[in-house]
Amino acid sequence: MSADDSDLVRCPQCGENAAPGGRFCENCGTPLGDAGGPTPPAEVTLEMAPTVVDPDPATGDSAARRPCAACGGVIAPDGYCTDCGTPGQSERDHFEERPAGWVAGVCDRGVRHARNEDAMALAASGTFAALVVCDGVSSAPDSDVASLAASRAARDVLVAYGPDGPSSVEGTPNRRIAGWTDAMVAASRAAGQAVRGAAEQLAAVKGTEVTDDPPSCTFVAAVVDADLIVAGWLGDSRVYWLPDTGPAEQLSVDDSWAQEMIAAGIPRAQAESSPQAHAITRWLGPDAPDTDAHCAATVPSGPGWLLVCSDGLWNYCSDAHEMGELVRRFATCGDPHAAAAALVRWANAQGGRDNITAALARVAVEPTVTEQR
Amino acid sequence: MAEFSAEVFQNEFLSDGATDVHAVVSVTCTGAGAAGVTGAIPGGAGGVAEIIAVDTSGSMQGRNMEAAKHAAAVAVDQIPDGTLFAIIGGSHVATRIFPYPNARVPMVAMEPAARSEAKRAIATMAASGGTAISTWLRLADDLFATTPVAQKHLILLTDGKNESEPTMHLDRMIADVTGHFQCDARGVGDRWVVEELRKISTALLGTVDLIARPEDIAEDFAALVRKSMARGVAAVDLRVWAPQGSQVLFVKQVAPEVDDLTGRRTEVNPLTSAYPTGAWADETRDYHVAVRVAAKPVGSEQLAARVQVAVDGEVTAAGLVKAKWSDDSTLTARISPEVAHYTGQAELASAIQEGLAAKAAGDEATATVKLGRAVQLAAETGNDDATSRLRKIVEVENEEEGTVRLKRNTAKLDEMALDTASTKTTRVRRA
Repeated sequence: MSADDSDLVRCPQCGENAAPGGRFCENCGTPLGDAGGPTPPAEVTLEMAPTVVDPDPATGDSAARRPCAACGGVIAPDGYCTDCGTPGQSERDHFEERPAGWVAGVCDRGVRHARNEDAMALAASGTFAALVVCDGVSSAPDSDVASLAASRAARDVLVAYGPDGPSSVEGTPNRRIAGWTDAMVAASRAAGQAVRGAAEQLAAVKGTEVTDDPPSCTFVAAVVDADLIVAGWLGDSRVYWLPDTGPAEQLSVDDSWAQEMIAAGIPRAQAESSPQAHAITRWLGPDAPDTDAHCAATVPSGPGWLLVCSDGLWNYCSDAHEMGELVRRFATCGDPHAAAAALVRWANAQGGRDNITAALARVAVEPTVTEQR
Repeated sequence: MAEFSAEVFQNEFLSDGATDVHAVVSVTCTGAGAAGVTGAIPGGAGGVAEIIAVDTSGSMQGRNMEAAKHAAAVAVDQIPDGTLFAIIGGSHVATRIFPYPNARVPMVAMEPAARSEAKRAIATMAASGGTAISTWLRLADDLFATTPVAQKHLILLTDGKNESEPTMHLDRMIADVTGHFQCDARGVGDRWVVEELRKISTALLGTVDLIARPEDIAEDFAALVRKSMARGVAAVDLRVWAPQGSQVLFVKQVAPEVDDLTGRRTEVNPLTSAYPTGAWADETRDYHVAVRVAAKPVGSEQLAARVQVAVDGEVTAAGLVKAKWSDDSTLTARISPEVAHYTGQAELASAIQEGLAAKAAGDEATATVKLGRAVQLAAETGNDDATSRLRKIVEVENEEEGTVRLKRNTAKLDEMALDTASTKTTRVRRA
């Protein structure tokens, strides 16, 4: 296809110009529809066990028919609510996890996008927690499969380094920070491997080469190990540490064009509102140069909220201090599940332009007392 | 077993803030079987009952009466053995011709002896008296009420106006018998009133038509009986579910004839309405459904209606009418070709009827405008039938722009033919 103006394709959903030959819109992820191309082959999907927050205590089984998200009514077999007609959400479009009372996350398709390419995987045990979020690149097809595979692979690696796992990280804080940094890199490599595996499987099903438009995603993970937090990332999904007292901070540093501009001195508001702002400079995928996560650690001096989220949330509230205010507003009850759900609803209310994931952990570290001597 | 399928044609994309969703739902019945063979009521009487009501008023004397008697006999030949039937002669009073007035049974099942006796009774019919059609409907209703069959069908023939009773009587009687049986009404000659018979046939889920020459009545009756016998499914309801807070604007049958069902709605539950559609043979009928929903933000999706086919209270087929809000005008500006075609056909029907009414009232200006619009629509939608009938009434100067001149000496029959056929639609041509 020649790239002259008459061949310019516009996305039917959001109106953005799409790359010639692109099968998905880079802005909103809608399939662009081939002009006489081959019919799409069968999809490769990951087994999505229904993630359930609270199994029914009486029967012990999960809510097989989740209620309508808009009005709470029953979803009919044809996929729409019997009261208000809102389409039922598939598991992939909206799921929630709560591995412990102090760790929870919500992953949602948002309003504008046709698919949910965000994914999330959480784990917790005692004072240990692992939170992983991956944001699929919407201009590459099947990134939703990739992001789900990546997040689960990374979480499993982190759990292996946790207190119940075979390679448990132990020792003084400094030794544990070093141990967890290694664990983070192992996790991101495993995630990258999972994406590559998914890409090969998909290519085999479709009969194409892996290098044509490979599925890709960002990676961000945070580990709470009793008294310390270690974060690792590739791309522009973020980790925020939001203490109850003291300054809020963004632990991760975006691997994005906007961040490079900010580092070069351009004001944050200008850099973030530019059309190229979201071009990511590091990611997971078959065409990624390397998949070693960059890491950062912090030793909290008091209790607070750890937030791991995708850009579907922070696009509406980028500054760390404002994010702290926002989370505090929704987290007055102290329940991370309610707070995460509220954050997702808030982001949808702002327009839901992208998929939204918010994972929260309530870190209840005793404030260190500095004694006056 | 009869099988129903429903196909939905629509443009589901709405612009930001738009609320009205239009869709054409095409319902097809296959395997309906023959009437009376597949009993629609499980365990009960299936079967059909046929009544033929022939005008025996004074005006029928002569050719009309002879032709009507001949037609009734032909119809009797078409009724298969086992079907309950009766013959009514109607003037300002209604008389049961067969079974004989002194017979103990109200209706008899067809068999060779009954067939020959019925024809003998028909031969004795004579024309005298006025015309009060409500009495014919009342007698038919009384006879039908004595049978437990699922499908009840009346063929009614008249040649003149319903002049022996006030309009109110007929209207009231129509309302009383609605839902009890289906009726196909026929008018012979040019002295009857299309609107009178159309009132009957629309309420009683049947057709109305003009028979120009008395000689043609027999063939028409035979076809009507055959059509009735081919309907294997007795009572089919069209059900429309619309979401909480929405409003069903209208439900119209648009093929093979235009028929507004909106007024016949009954409630199944607060969100679902049912519209009776009578008996079905192997056939396809198209419906135009319009629903108004509350606008949702761009990117949202909502189900605007579930259109279901219910036989004996059980839903056997369904189509989904969707709404998706988008800010891409190339998507939202499109009109589904099916919706556009049938909207045009419905407009064509009303343009014809209003134009003829204006012409009859002497308002030539309105008649010219309306019939001109009808010519334009008929050409656009490829309705050649309507075009040829229109050309008998108007002189067409420019088909595309709809400029016409009323013809001076139009035959009343031609006007009536146009009127009765106005509701017949052409189906949309599927690519």
